[in-house]
Amino acid sequence: MDVNVTVNGESYERDVEPRKLLIHFLRDDLDLTGSHIGCDTGNCGACSVIVDGVLVKSCMMLAVQADGSNVETVEGLAQDGELNGLQQAFSEHHGLQCGYCTPGMLMSATALLRANPHPSEEEIRTGIQGNICRCTGYVNIVEAIKAAAE
Amino acid sequence: MTETTVTPERPLVVEEGETRPGFIGQNIRRKEDKRLVQGEGVFFDDVKRHEMGFVHFVRSPYAHARIKAVDVSKAHEVDGVYGTLTGDEVAILTDPFFELSTPPGANIKDYALAVGRVRHVGDPVAAVVARTRELARDAAELVEVDYEPLPLVLDAEEALKDEVVLHDDAASNTVWSGTFDWGDFEGALAEADHVIKIERLHFDRFSSTPLECSGCLVEYNRGTGQWTIHGNHQMPGVGAIWMAPALRVGIDKLRFVSQDIGGGFGNKITLHPQFTACCLLARKLNRPVQWTEWRTDQHTANTHGNERTFLDITVPVKADGTMLGFSVRAIDDCGAFPRYEPLGCIIWAQVTPGCYRWRNVRVDFTQVCTNKSPVAPNRGYSRMQHLWLTERIIDIVAGELGLDPVDVRKKNYVKNEEFPYTTPNGCVYDSGDYARCLDIALELIGYDKIEEKRVDAESRGKLLGVGIGSTLDSGTNNFGQSMILNPELQFSGNNEVATVKLDIFGEVVVTLGTVPQGQGHETTTAQVVADILGCTPDEINVRAGHDSYWNSHAGFSGTYASQFAVTGLGAVKGAADKLAGEMKQLAAAVFGCTPDDIELAESQARIKGNPEAALPFMALGAILNANNAGLPEDLDISLNVRHVYRPQFEKPDLERKYGNLTLTYATQIHACVVEVDPETGVYDIVDYAAVDDCGDRIHPQIVEGQVHGATAQALGAATHEIFTYDEEGNLLTPNFYDYHVPHALDMPPLRTGYIESTSPFTPLGAKGMGEGGGAGIHAVCAALQNALGKRGEGPIVWRSCNPYHRVWEMLQNPAETRKFVSVESR
Amino acid sequence: MLLREVEYARPASVQEAVRLLSDHDGARALAGGQTLINVMKARAASPDALVDLSALAELKGIDLAADGTVTIGAMVTYTELMASAEARARPILGDVCAQIADVQVRNRGTIGGNVCSNDPTNHLPPLMVSLGATMHIVGANGERSVPAEEFFLGVYMTAAGPGELLTKISVPPGKSDGFASVTIGRDGTCIVNAAASVNGGVRLALGCVDAVPVLIKAGATDDDAVRAAVREANLQPPSDVHASADYRRHLAEVVAVRAAGEARGKR
Repeated sequence: MDVNVTVNGESYERDVEPRKLLIHFLRDDLDLTGSHIGCDTGNCGACSVIVDGVLVKSCMMLAVQADGSNVETVEGLAQDGELNGLQQAFSEHHGLQCGYCTPGMLMSATALLRANPHPSEEEIRTGIQGNICRCTGYVNIVEAIKAAAE
Repeated sequence: MTETTVTPERPLVVEEGETRPGFIGQNIRRKEDKRLVQGEGVFFDDVKRHEMGFVHFVRSPYAHARIKAVDVSKAHEVDGVYGTLTGDEVAILTDPFFELSTPPGANIKDYALAVGRVRHVGDPVAAVVARTRELARDAAELVEVDYEPLPLVLDAEEALKDEVVLHDDAASNTVWSGTFDWGDFEGALAEADHVIKIERLHFDRFSSTPLECSGCLVEYNRGTGQWTIHGNHQMPGVGAIWMAPALRVGIDKLRFVSQDIGGGFGNKITLHPQFTACCLLARKLNRPVQWTEWRTDQHTANTHGNERTFLDITVPVKADGTMLGFSVRAIDDCGAFPRYEPLGCIIWAQVTPGCYRWRNVRVDFTQVCTNKSPVAPNRGYSRMQHLWLTERIIDIVAGELGLDPVDVRKKNYVKNEEFPYTTPNGCVYDSGDYARCLDIALELIGYDKIEEKRVDAESRGKLLGVGIGSTLDSGTNNFGQSMILNPELQFSGNNEVATVKLDIFGEVVVTLGTVPQGQGHETTTAQVVADILGCTPDEINVRAGHDSYWNSHAGFSGTYASQFAVTGLGAVKGAADKLAGEMKQLAAAVFGCTPDDIELAESQARIKGNPEAALPFMALGAILNANNAGLPEDLDISLNVRHVYRPQFEKPDLERKYGNLTLTYATQIHACVVEVDPETGVYDIVDYAAVDDCGDRIHPQIVEGQVHGATAQALGAATHEIFTYDEEGNLLTPNFYDYHVPHALDMPPLRTGYIESTSPFTPLGAKGMGEGGGAGIHAVCAALQNALGKRGEGPIVWRSCNPYHRVWEMLQNPAETRKFVSVESR
Repeated sequence: MLLREVEYARPASVQEAVRLLSDHDGARALAGGQTLINVMKARAASPDALVDLSALAELKGIDLAADGTVTIGAMVTYTELMASAEARARPILGDVCAQIADVQVRNRGTIGGNVCSNDPTNHLPPLMVSLGATMHIVGANGERSVPAEEFFLGVYMTAAGPGELLTKISVPPGKSDGFASVTIGRDGTCIVNAAASVNGGVRLALGCVDAVPVLIKAGATDDDAVRAAVREANLQPPSDVHASADYRRHLAEVVAVRAAGEARGKR
């Protein structure tokens, strides 16, 4: 099936099987390997992206469902190689260690701050509740998002 | 280039061999971050090769069965299938993997695919390779395997009976067995005023489940016989030791490449079976093959942490609360194949008495195979299980005798003035101040107000409990401890390698023998080198990741066992010191003075007291590499140095099982406050403090990040993370839906504190600390015990993981666990 | 992790969707996909064709009638319901949706999907039963309505059969509602849950204890009366890794009392 999708402002057209998951489409067909896969059951959030302004787990969407949509991934956050404020904050506050959950975390934080520019700690934790991290214990991730919100 | 956020206030002046903190001790921005926050990291699944085939493993649905036949013919009929591999082929093409144990464990035959028999659910039986991931999965369903189910054994104590035996070649489930007896336990019993007996304690199965699953992309070069494995093996040196003889090739034919790894926590050390299967496929099919492990496969069939049962624990205690020692019978369940085991049978001995001054210890240790997932050195490897035992002992004994849990710990802790402290089996604890760490932890959770909090909790119908978890993170192994298990093994000491060179344009380039999975090696390395060479971390290029072809490495290279700050940075320091020396020699030759007249500062080599006479690094690099006519003949330098750091160890005394097994001992002391709802068994961790001491901190944020992460993992292991099996050997928690790991809202408020007790034994005074030692598990168990138990009454918390249903059972039927403990007072 | 081959269609009208579902035995409706896609990844079920409902405007929207009835389109997401002023007329709806999983799941998961998948641990089946909601179904033979308490037939089975589509759910007016659960971790899977509505007596619907929500009615709403009513129901809950049958039975009683207590408090 034909899929026309815009990702980080760039248009792509591909022919894919209906059964292909959006995360595999991004990683394998479009070579956008920033979004990751960490589980089989939609729990870990490593695959989180923003589709038409809505934060989703791309492992629970088919690529064909994104036909005609606007997708934002981690690769679209920096501008001309300059890290955005959120990315800077993650680095400054040591909000990442192995970096595997980080793209999904950044997209969740991006969605959170768009909807709620000054979230409380509870709201931040709720905003990233769908993103598992095994390295940081979330402490510095929350600090980073707080700092980015200021 | 990343920007350094902190610059030293004064230029560094460095004497050869000495490192003065400039960037060491600062929180500079991590070099790894820029690529990782842009999604530009390179994890193995990001690597692609033209026409690569995707691998899907056909896995056993049975926990124990004979394989009568494997028929791949229907899979081959599918268009787009490139080929298959079966156990029969593996048995012909490879030799079984090297076993570390003595007989009978030594006789176990472990192959890349199941040969003749499957021994745990998920055991790989065949592999299918196809053009797409989906096709490989589809074709795998067409592989027909004829199984003859066999009886199974899922319990370690049952396995000991050898009624159901997993490995015919071993003719027993016992992988290893031995006794350890130090001090005079009988004498201690005679001297005791009280003897507490704990019938059983059990450390549950769990793992740190790194978010990135295992996997590789393997290419085979037919012309040279060279395999290149783009995979996330965290200790490729040891991987090669297993794989090369199995594949009947030299070690150099296996090249391991990784750049970024999404967490390992010890679960990416025994990937050799799957990697070997992929190597065979790459060669057979003459194309690159790619395997990505799924979460379900990681939980069912990759690795778990060691599961350990402690029986007949006997603890002699004096009236004043002095604990004289303990004896225990330990049974370790390593699952279907030992692999890195039986090392776990000795590694615990690095911390035999835990944090305590117990002099008389007797341990009867046996390890068995069962029809469960094989184990790997999961974070805290074997010490965590043992330290949990020591903390449960302290806690239960204190509870039974009505001793204050703080006082009894301080009474029995190794005291600050006793360091370096030699344990009953010859391990030397380098430094620490446990009592002080405990005080800080208690202050952080408001321990002095605990009784008020208890009353408040009661008014809301909740039972409050407070618990302490003390632990040690022993780091930098002396591999000679493996000889205690098997005198035939030729492993002892430890080492790590680093290279540092000054390139033609004055660029400093470092390669590491280690394989980081998020610990910030590039960053801390740059800090150390910058301080030695008198420049900034931004000017130090540390090659990202590890490539065994190009990164110099040694027998023990890798990232594991809480040692990078010692071994990795020790190698880095040694190499940088040598390079600094060579740079001074070169500058001296150019200026016509002696090397002692030269200092390295502000990215230059210059004459002391005459900063105008300066050579920038670029000049030094260019002179030696491209403009070297006229240099003295006896100037023997290369500006490209390799250093092997080797800690000072002796081979242990095998007969007494005595000797120093680890170089450093970091401390973590945690305190935990829980509130239990007696109506449901549901509990919350309402307050939490973690205090660590890892000697001199190279990068405080990185250290704290490790403490946060270790705490979160321990809290998961204490509350919901448990690998439970049904009667047929099916894992009931095979994914994150049922195996609940902490999410952001599950974390308690986490307060941290630290002290720095310099290690006298390491190049930088730092200690390794990444694993942590599971203090959170010890603390939560103690807190639950405090909430649920009363002196002489109430249940005993005897298992490491306490999901709500276990708390409920303890509330409903305290007698059932109370009977595990008896006190004999004289 | 990898689905079997499947056909896909995204119809533009309910009529077309119903036709597609009726014409193909192996066709399944795809709502938010937060359950179905996972089921297909595990290959526990593999429909031949997916009928994507996301383009059906008729299934979106929340209507608040003059008499206070809240009518929710089947394709309304949890997030949309939580943000809806109309849905706030019956606050328990948004309160419960906020407890489901996480932001990503709430952004895609739908009210209709939650009730039609009828996983015994789902939140909305017991809630709809306790609220006395009405489920509106469209099929080849036209429209029909089914009370919630008759809608849930078995594990993953509802009155919306093959070839039929749940289009909307009407929730009668009211405010005295409660919901209580014990979950694995914050906002995790429910071990037990209970929804209660008080209107004179109490309507209690217990989830996780049977294939379908168990409806219990009691004339009195105090704790003892609720406890007695639950005991009389003689629950035979399943045993699993998170709770034995006995523990689950006990927890069900506790959450029933708590849910009823919360509902009582809002009278």
